[in-house]
Amino acid sequence: MTSTLTAPAPSRSRSAAARSRRRRPIDKGKLLAWLTIVLVGAFALLPVYWMLVTAVRPAGEVFQFPPKLLPTSVTFAHFQSFVSDPKLLGYLLNSVVVSVATAVLTLAVATYTAYSFSKFRYRGRSSLMYLVLASQMFPHALLLITLYLLFNAFGLLNSYLGLVLSFTAFTMPLCIWMLKGVFDTIPDAMIEQAKVDGAGRFTIIHRIVLPVAAPGVVAAGLFAFIRGWNDFIFALTLAGPDKQTLPPGLVNTYVGEFQTAWPALMAASLIVSVPVIVGFVSLQRYLVAGLAGGAVKG
Amino acid sequence: MTTFTGSERRRGLSDRTFGVLLTLPALVLLAGIVFYPLISALSTSLFRQSLVLAGRSFVGLDNFADVLRGDALEIARNTAVFTISATLLPFVIGFAAALALNAGVRGQALLRSLFLLPWVLPGVVVSFVWLWIFNTNYGLLNGVLVRTGLATDSTSWLSDPLWAMVAVVVAKTWASFPWMMVMLLAGLQTVPRDLYEAAALDGAGAVRRFFNVSLPHLRGIIGIVVLLELIWNLQHFDTIYVLTGGGPAGATTTFAVAVYTTAFKGFDLGHAGALGALWMLVLTVVVIVYLRYSERREPRPV
Repeated sequence: MTSTLTAPAPSRSRSAAARSRRRRPIDKGKLLAWLTIVLVGAFALLPVYWMLVTAVRPAGEVFQFPPKLLPTSVTFAHFQSFVSDPKLLGYLLNSVVVSVATAVLTLAVATYTAYSFSKFRYRGRSSLMYLVLASQMFPHALLLITLYLLFNAFGLLNSYLGLVLSFTAFTMPLCIWMLKGVFDTIPDAMIEQAKVDGAGRFTIIHRIVLPVAAPGVVAAGLFAFIRGWNDFIFALTLAGPDKQTLPPGLVNTYVGEFQTAWPALMAASLIVSVPVIVGFVSLQRYLVAGLAGGAVKG
Repeated sequence: MTTFTGSERRRGLSDRTFGVLLTLPALVLLAGIVFYPLISALSTSLFRQSLVLAGRSFVGLDNFADVLRGDALEIARNTAVFTISATLLPFVIGFAAALALNAGVRGQALLRSLFLLPWVLPGVVVSFVWLWIFNTNYGLLNGVLVRTGLATDSTSWLSDPLWAMVAVVVAKTWASFPWMMVMLLAGLQTVPRDLYEAAALDGAGAVRRFFNVSLPHLRGIIGIVVLLELIWNLQHFDTIYVLTGGGPAGATTTFAVAVYTTAFKGFDLGHAGALGALWMLVLTVVVIVYLRYSERREPRPV
């Protein structure tokens, strides 16, 4: 159904290629491919360029209409104003603390669960796997209705612990699926051999399995970090002003009803984006599997 | 060396029990942060309950009657418009990009990484960038339109009901087409080369090869990416909330925004719960279709 709805776009481009194919030995298909790449590339990268340019041009040039595509001079004043604002630095610190703690807790919890799903067979195992899978399908705005009351009752509002617990619950399912995939590739014979050698159950996990799975574990940890770093709605709702992370912190600081400090906001946007971009560059290898949201086999 | 210690005896714990025990921390966390709040939120739909005042009273289905008489239908319509457009548009663009990258162009890997950038950026950054582009007075979009003579005057994109919806869809499309592209590209690369060659020998042109070779091969992955994107868009919050806050005049209020603002700005948990229950109904249908579909393709639910 979906394919018939959406097929016309590629077919149109292909038939255009077919029509003009006989004129020259130049590969018209490739020409069309490049044309598509240029158009999609402009759509993908022009906004990124605009963020970059706005962040480094003098404020006087930013508030000019119509805007000029090329900056005439470059300034780092907007980054400096971020670094010299204690409130923003506080958000940054909160983001780092909460995301790192989320990654650590997620790995601690997800590793054992994934190992269990991968190496043990028991009744209800596939139901549990579905339960974990389903848990990430529930809308966050809905859960927050009463999660807020629950955290309020336990004194977890506006606390690092509250944010870390909730981020962990939402990064865990994806990480469990990723790690299960990693553990599945570890041969059972290796574990059997360790058992024969007299290794205890936790020794097997910590000393035999985890070292072999280390690259996958690091990748899962990075994913958890990025997800915690990117979260908006949970921090917006569950954290007060002094525990707020960067995403809601920036919205509250800059997105007012009146004037917004655009160059400062674009500079801040770049600062929030850097750890995520660095993380993904180092995750290239796991990207396709991770992109699938833990729900499709990569 | 060969003495039997207490720990040796503890192996009486069966593998089965040990396996289950390993999952306990995760299950406790999920129960506390996901499943209990979910059930509890849905149950608020039957009560008159405030976020800030203690106590609640049972009102049966009154909240449902209220929201259905109110703007629930408009919210459902907005959600449908947003979800479907923000799924189809990225699909078309992502598919076109995947086909282009798969056509044997040089620098494919680099281009793929570059095109992934919008998807990699944090959700609020996506919102900030587009908020700035759509800015009425100094925005890039109005600038380009005025300079090229396509428009004589600046448009307030985000305060016009129609354009505001277009704006949030465009921003979400920008952020999610790369995922579609990567998934479809991965699918395209699994199509055996000799199938194309055989089809070409039989005289099939590019169009025939696309419909008779590529598309049948991709049917599975297309179903998965479209269904997943539908599920994600049905719940999407960040871009809409930051770009328009659900406005103007509720024109971009989807279930996610409505439930959030009803609970945390209106403090009305009962009505928020009722809206949430309607939302879950729609979502559950799509999730079931998705699970059925992915199960049919894969023996394992991975």
